[in-house]
Amino acid sequence: MFNKEDLAEVLKIALQNGGDFADIFVEQKKTTAISLEAGKVERVSSGLDVGAGIRVILGDNTSYAHTNDITIDGLKKIAEVVGKAATGKAPRRDFSLMEVPANWQPSYKKKPSTVPIEEKVALVEKANKAARDVDWRVKQVTVGYGDVEQKVTIANSEGTFVEDERVRTRIIINVVAQDGDVIQTGFESAGGLKGFELFDEVDVVELARKAARRAVAMLEAKPAPAGKMPVVMAAEAGGTMVHEACGHGLEADLVRKKLSVYAGKLGQKVASELITVIDDGTREGKYGSLQYDDEGTPASKTVLIEKGILKSYMYDKFSAMKEGRQSTGNGRRQSYQHRPIPRMTNTYIAPGDTDPQEIIADTERGLLVMKMGGGQVNTTNGEFVFDVAEGYLIENGKVGPMVRGATLTGNGPRVLQIVDKVGSDLGFAIGTCGKDGQGVPVSDAQPTIRIPEMVVGGILEED
Amino acid sequence: MFTELTKLGEETVQKAMKQGADEAESFIMFDKELIIEVADQEVENMKVAETRGLGMRVIKDGRMGFAYTADLTANGLDFVVKQALDNAKIAAQDEFNRLPQPGDDKYPQLDIYDPAIEQIPEEKKIQLAKDIERYAREYDRRVKITERCGYQDALYHVAIVNSNGINQEYRGAYCGAYAFLVAQEGDEQQTGFGLQYRLKFDQLDPKQVGEEGAEKAVRMLGAKEIGTQRATIVLDPYVATNFLGVIAPALSAEAVQKGKSLFAGKVGQQVGSSLLTIIDDGAMEGAVVSAPMDGEGVPAGKTVLIEKGKLKGFMHNTYTAAKDGVTSTGNGIRASFKGTPEVGTTNFYIAPGNTSREKLLREVDKGLYITEVMGMHTANPISGDFSVGASGLWIEKGEFVQPVKGIAIAGNIKDLLNSIDCIGTDLTFFVGKGSPTIRISRMTISGS
Repeated sequence: MFNKEDLAEVLKIALQNGGDFADIFVEQKKTTAISLEAGKVERVSSGLDVGAGIRVILGDNTSYAHTNDITIDGLKKIAEVVGKAATGKAPRRDFSLMEVPANWQPSYKKKPSTVPIEEKVALVEKANKAARDVDWRVKQVTVGYGDVEQKVTIANSEGTFVEDERVRTRIIINVVAQDGDVIQTGFESAGGLKGFELFDEVDVVELARKAARRAVAMLEAKPAPAGKMPVVMAAEAGGTMVHEACGHGLEADLVRKKLSVYAGKLGQKVASELITVIDDGTREGKYGSLQYDDEGTPASKTVLIEKGILKSYMYDKFSAMKEGRQSTGNGRRQSYQHRPIPRMTNTYIAPGDTDPQEIIADTERGLLVMKMGGGQVNTTNGEFVFDVAEGYLIENGKVGPMVRGATLTGNGPRVLQIVDKVGSDLGFAIGTCGKDGQGVPVSDAQPTIRIPEMVVGGILEED
Repeated sequence: MFTELTKLGEETVQKAMKQGADEAESFIMFDKELIIEVADQEVENMKVAETRGLGMRVIKDGRMGFAYTADLTANGLDFVVKQALDNAKIAAQDEFNRLPQPGDDKYPQLDIYDPAIEQIPEEKKIQLAKDIERYAREYDRRVKITERCGYQDALYHVAIVNSNGINQEYRGAYCGAYAFLVAQEGDEQQTGFGLQYRLKFDQLDPKQVGEEGAEKAVRMLGAKEIGTQRATIVLDPYVATNFLGVIAPALSAEAVQKGKSLFAGKVGQQVGSSLLTIIDDGAMEGAVVSAPMDGEGVPAGKTVLIEKGKLKGFMHNTYTAAKDGVTSTGNGIRASFKGTPEVGTTNFYIAPGNTSREKLLREVDKGLYITEVMGMHTANPISGDFSVGASGLWIEKGEFVQPVKGIAIAGNIKDLLNSIDCIGTDLTFFVGKGSPTIRISRMTISGS
């Protein structure tokens, strides 16, 4: 898109009135989205998004500007704008741009742009049919397919120059089942940092059936009980809990501003010694994976908590600069319209050595979570919630009846301290994580774990 | 008003028609945004942004295709026309796919563009952001951390051109002030926020925003858990607007037509307490989401959805209206040029009741005033089931006696609407959603 000399010139304009650091992010993104509902392919959408953002950091101040005009003149214009906002001491250093080696290389076998759109539509229709064939009570099926090919050029005043291409493909299936007055839903999704080959590995028919079976089964589920009880989370439930209970709180911007309960606790015991938490942006094909983050730092694997001891936070460049250390490759942004901030990639609790079946057998009474939905956390006090999309009662060490409509709530550090069983399995789920109005693709994973007590947000019988 | 935007719209629509579209529409949006955030009386973040883009819908043989571009050079415009037409070949045929016709209804005249917002010098805006923080800190010395505190404004310019003869353009601007703060005492930290979005700069009140954020954070210090029980619940206006976010999709005709609304087939029936009236008003005076038209050029207007507990009707865009044989309510909403106009809300609110907030609270013998809910996005708008984390203030004999944390509240929207036993006079808007304080007679609180 741009050569190094041009971008170096733009960065120098951005720094002409001063500044400690400047960077530029140029993006060209092609998207496809197909949505099917009520048995019909309702929306077929293609998008072309182009733009660039320039940032100047001066002390604690960050100035940011973006434009859709990605000609060299367009870039110079916004460089002037941010350059004016950051006026102060000007340590005019000269720099030249150089490529940065990556820690790994993703491979895209079938780029979505090379796959005929008819094939994508056929896939969506196949998922719809499979879900509808499960049960007569399936009343509505929504299938959403999306792919993105994003080309980025990133350069900064430290001399970094990176050109990267990210390809992501995903599918979501949402099923509504109804019986009389009762309506329930089932949701499944799959996606990765990969092309259309995703569907060589993921069987959409099985995925659709799974969503439909859950929606139908939920019709007969009873409301979840209310109050404190032991909770077992199965590996296949996904990783929303780790994402909310400690992931966000370990993002360095929140830590630096003391907006996290984990601030100032490096080297301290913050979780049970059964708990090791890792963020790894280099896992082949995972939805949150990256070759480079959105600041041109090579993605890496970071051990956040090791056997209960807090080892590291997740850093972008700004937070790393402030603490005199290196970015961990977690500086991410939704698009050129946003400045980068520390974000998770693929975050997981490392497997332990207990047989998952034994964990359930060892639990006399409690709630078994087989699928987690969305969640949220207040990092300042550590309170978090997540939705149970599929849950069962555990009675005398056996899986009992299905229950519906429960949110689990707890305090992050406390929940991680009291975890008393960690299974030997590991299950991933994908999601779009929101923070400061920016959504980025992530994945999370956990082994089967047991928490001796959490508050289950259920319903009490009328008194 | 015929500017560059209209020209882009006309050119692309003509091009699509020439290439074989039966109907074509271009939606063009240019916007400018400024964000200034301060912390400890210094500017921490400043953002100056311009976004431009065009979204195109075409209909061919009853099939609709869509494409968008942020590249407005010949390359991008060729892409958008070709891609929209190509996509129309694959989408399903649907006799109700159509674009609006120019109608007899007039576009409301709204005072939504105050040029002063752009003209006010940056220093004044920075000062306003700093003032918010200063008022917050002065309110209580335990307010120690500024998570985000700032000023924001946006100017936008929209054109909608379609091959049926709609050719409209309008401009708007808004500004906002916000504070997200942390109060500290010993090891404990609690958060609070205040925010205001207005159509005029001088309507922003930094003192009110700062003090509101500070008060909300400080009053949560010392929060404790409580036991599982059923009790009276009072929803703070902000929390009530969170619930409105779950109710809104169920009041869209699209959800009804697809069997995904808990209100389907209930028009004319009582679906909530007789105290409850819910309105969507795209032409509301002084409201930030007001505009003369929706995202497909249909005049904006007021739609009463629930009146005194009785379901009156649903929100429509052109497609759902055609399907039901009615007229669009002007609720074809676009999040940006990147999306198609889907049924959505404008200024969506619960009408105020006639009990003051003070009296509403004074009448509570024992209950919980909910100030924050977490995980509302996990509520199910189709079944109406919700279960959310919550915190708030315990009420005894009409007085706040103890902050409460770590609880969950659960139920079904249908029951919640039926159990409303008092609505306050204090209608408060949080951008596009508004509510007064709402009292619910009884609900399950899950605690320890």
